[in-house]
Amino acid sequence: MHPTIKMIRRFAIVAVLLLMAAATATAQDWIRTGTGLGMEKVRLAVPDFVPASADPQAGELVKTFNDTLWGDLQQAGIFDMVSKSFYPIGSFSAPATIKFDAWGSPPPNAGMVAFGNLGVSGGRVLVQGWLFDVKNQQSPQVLGKQYNETASVQSARIIAHRFADEIILRLGGGLPGIAESRIYFVSTRSGNKEIWSMDYDGANQQQLTHLRSIALSPHASPDGSRVALAGIFHGNWNILMYSNDLNRLVSFPVFGGGNLSPAWSGDGTKLAFSSSRAGAPEIYTCDANGGSLKRLTAVKGPDVSPVWNPKTGVQIAFVSGRTGLPQIYVMDSDGSNVQRVTDTGYAVSPSWSPNGQFLLFSWIRHYGPGAPGGDDIYIMDVASHKWVQLTHDSRRNDFPSWAPDGRHIVFQSNRSGSEQIWTMLADGSQQRQLTTSGTNSQPNWGSH
Amino acid sequence: MAANADIFEEREAWRRPLTISAVLHVALFGSIFFYAAFFAGRSGGSWGNSGDDTGNAMSATLVTTVPLPANPQAKPENVLANESKGVTQSVPKPEEKDKTAIPIPDRNAKTKIKPSKQPPVTPTHEQPREVAKVSNVVPFGQGGPVSGPYGTFSAAGAKGGFGFNGAGGDFGTRFGWYVDAVRRKVSENWMKYEIDPSLSTTRRVYIYFEITRPGAPANIRIEQSSGIPSLDQSALRALQRIDTFGPLPPEYSGNRVAVEFWFDPPVRGQ
Repeated sequence: MHPTIKMIRRFAIVAVLLLMAAATATAQDWIRTGTGLGMEKVRLAVPDFVPASADPQAGELVKTFNDTLWGDLQQAGIFDMVSKSFYPIGSFSAPATIKFDAWGSPPPNAGMVAFGNLGVSGGRVLVQGWLFDVKNQQSPQVLGKQYNETASVQSARIIAHRFADEIILRLGGGLPGIAESRIYFVSTRSGNKEIWSMDYDGANQQQLTHLRSIALSPHASPDGSRVALAGIFHGNWNILMYSNDLNRLVSFPVFGGGNLSPAWSGDGTKLAFSSSRAGAPEIYTCDANGGSLKRLTAVKGPDVSPVWNPKTGVQIAFVSGRTGLPQIYVMDSDGSNVQRVTDTGYAVSPSWSPNGQFLLFSWIRHYGPGAPGGDDIYIMDVASHKWVQLTHDSRRNDFPSWAPDGRHIVFQSNRSGSEQIWTMLADGSQQRQLTTSGTNSQPNWGSH
Repeated sequence: MAANADIFEEREAWRRPLTISAVLHVALFGSIFFYAAFFAGRSGGSWGNSGDDTGNAMSATLVTTVPLPANPQAKPENVLANESKGVTQSVPKPEEKDKTAIPIPDRNAKTKIKPSKQPPVTPTHEQPREVAKVSNVVPFGQGGPVSGPYGTFSAAGAKGGFGFNGAGGDFGTRFGWYVDAVRRKVSENWMKYEIDPSLSTTRRVYIYFEITRPGAPANIRIEQSSGIPSLDQSALRALQRIDTFGPLPPEYSGNRVAVEFWFDPPVRGQ
């Protein structure tokens, strides 16, 4: 071989080795993926958790735990739950009991299996839970958790919620679980319109306020520590503040006039509300403690129901009657750049999605006596003004509110005969009634 | 001078022959005209006329209207196929006689052919040459950019959704569920109505980004444009909408994962 060619070959080999060494030095993995590779939901199997102790309380707690976990995962909207009738026979309490072929092939054909055991000893409940990727036999474990709480039905529910949230966080691509979130609403079941709260699945309904007058439009702060509401206090409609930490109302300035529909900014430092302290209702903002009051709108006609864009914190959507029937408008948080986003009909109750991309609102598109259609929930892409109807001709649907995960919606509907609280996924599916007692309205989905 | 004058003064009798000539000419033209007017159209047939007077006659095509090139233009010489014999000469391959062939008796078929004393030769067939398997063969339409670090990619898993390479190199196999979650999340946030609806060809845009330890996307950029601005922008926005993919698995030792994500837009009519 020619000596020059030999030299070039040697040089090339050295260069390749150097490149390989450099690639090794940058400790970083690569993924290549793309769209069009299937958007199927994860097929998740959840065999019942197995009692790990002979304690008589364990049976009740296991049942509560299993029901709660199954309900949470089914409600999440990101799983295709494998029916329990397809499961292999046996009890699955530990990783050694999982046979990959039996779970990963038909009939269950599951992609993931969540399993574990629950034991009670010494007044404590101990739960071990795993999530296995049964299609990946080399490193199947996605999640392994252990919980230790005081033995009670409520603890079993909370542990199930937490385990469900962990699964949803991992398989949902960082999706925050809502199993521990709470929904605030107005209920008449005590005789007056008071603020109540409940778990996201309708359990643990509790009365918060005892004004014995009227309390409306609760709105939970982003950290879940406080709930702003509007109530008749000293003869006027005022913004009131309820502390979840203290379980009572805390002081908040009185602005004068009628003050309604408070809404927190995304960072929890500001409030927006409508006030008629200077005549017609206009949009005002103030700090979380009630200071730095600032008027944003000054146009003839009422402006009410402000909501912040939680993502940017610099936009506010509101309802205005400046052109006649109420319509949804969007403006910057300093009152400038006002834009109308609905073009016709009767549009109220805006709610901004956590990612700032969508607006929910209640819309009577054809308003007037004998007009077709009803009062339904719509979702609109704020940038393009494209909208989709989520509820269809099922009487009056109003006051939609986003869940913190951006996938669920709570709203009020009278389709069951009286006004009740309902939830659904953001595509309008899985509609589910949460309340049945009294009339319940104006829900707001809080984080905690 | 007087004689010359006499010559010119002599006058011949031109009047009579001229008159006769004129009459004969008039008679001749008159007879021709008369014949043409009364007899010419009544004998013979019209060429091209099939007897039907409604107009099926062929019309003779004038030569000038035939689309022939008036002047043959000089064409540029084809450098690959011209009449030049070139500098090399191709020699026909000499016919090789098959040594194993049995000669055909041409003169006397009754003559027995003596068997060859050579030992029988086992026919040797050329074995199919084994093609070296190249690990970096990319299926059609799924290749990445030709330059950059993608050359070191193992695209064997590209069809299944992802390929990977790197120091640890096993992120995709160990944490397939995480890769699936990334794919689902990006696909959910890709608003296809942002793409030009008149798009009628399949184009693909490649987006590069990294996932940090807490799960946030970083360093988002277009790795290879599709050539369609609306498609490129919709793909970029899909990534920009995402706050987090969820924290990287705790079992993973690296600090970040690089992702190449491709977007295949829906084509109108499909």
